[in-house]
Amino acid sequence: MKEKPNLADIHQGDSLPSVTKHITQQNINLYAEASGDFNPIHVDEAFAAKTPLEGTIAHGMLILAYASEMMTQAFGQSWLKGGKLSIRFKAAARPQDTITTSGQIDTIEYKEDIPYVNCSFECRNQNGDVVISGGSVVRLQ
Amino acid sequence: MKEKENSSPLSFKQLPVGFEFPPTSYELSESIITKYLEAVGESADFLALGIVPPLAIAACAMTALSQSFTVPPGSIHASQELEFLKPVPIGSRVSCGGRLAQKLARGSLNLVMLEISVLDEDGEQVLSGKATIAAPD
Repeated sequence: MKEKPNLADIHQGDSLPSVTKHITQQNINLYAEASGDFNPIHVDEAFAAKTPLEGTIAHGMLILAYASEMMTQAFGQSWLKGGKLSIRFKAAARPQDTITTSGQIDTIEYKEDIPYVNCSFECRNQNGDVVISGGSVVRLQ
Repeated sequence: MKEKENSSPLSFKQLPVGFEFPPTSYELSESIITKYLEAVGESADFLALGIVPPLAIAACAMTALSQSFTVPPGSIHASQELEFLKPVPIGSRVSCGGRLAQKLARGSLNLVMLEISVLDEDGEQVLSGKATIAAPD
C-alpha cells in the first residue's frame, strides 16, 4: 500500500481503479463473525427465505468495504487518515452477485494549501443495478 | 467482537432524541481483522502494516451501536457517512459511543439518525460518522 499518491499524477476526471467482487454466503458468514452482526437476514437462509427479500442479503457495510478498497488503492494511507465518505444504500446485494465498484475524481480543491480530492462512486451488480452510490473526499497530507 | 457494558436494549421508539448510548469497548484483534479481510476479499497489506481497515472499525462500531436498541423486522440501513481521522493499530482496544441525533416520520417509515464516534485507547477520536436506519411503522 502506498503512503500517499503523487499529486502530479491526480487529475480531475481521472477514473478510480475499479474493484470487482463476487459475493458468496461464506463471505457473508465470515463478515458476520468479524463484525459481530449476526442479523438472520444475513446469515439464516431458512429465515431469510420466508421474508419479503426471499433470501439472505449481504451486510451493506460489506459492500461499502469494496468502495473503501478502491479508495485505498487510489490514495493509499491518505485514505486511512484523512478520508470521508457519504453514501446511500440503494438496493440489496445477494449471494452470487458480482459487484463492481467504480468512480472518478470530480474536483481537486485546496484549503489552507492542503489538497482535497473529491470523488464520486457507485457499486453496481451484474445487472447494472446501483447498490450503493455516494461521494468521498480525501485530504492529501 | 465486543464486550457489552449496557443492559437489555430498548426499542428506538422509547429513546428520546439526544439519547446517548453507553460506550462499548472492543478489541480489534489480529484474528478479527484476518477474518474481516477474508470476508471482504481485501489484500493482506493491512496485516503487514499492522493497521485496521477503516471500514472494519466502522462495521464493529455500527454493530455495537445497533445492539444498544431494537428496530422492527424489515428495517434497513439507508445511508452512512464516515470520516477516518487516524489509523488504528491492529490489537488496539477502541471505544464506541453514539447519540440518537434525529427521528423523522416519512410516510410509513421512521428514519432514525445516529451519530457515531470511536476513540482509541488514548481517548483520541479515530472515526466519526452518521448512520440512517429506516424502520417500518
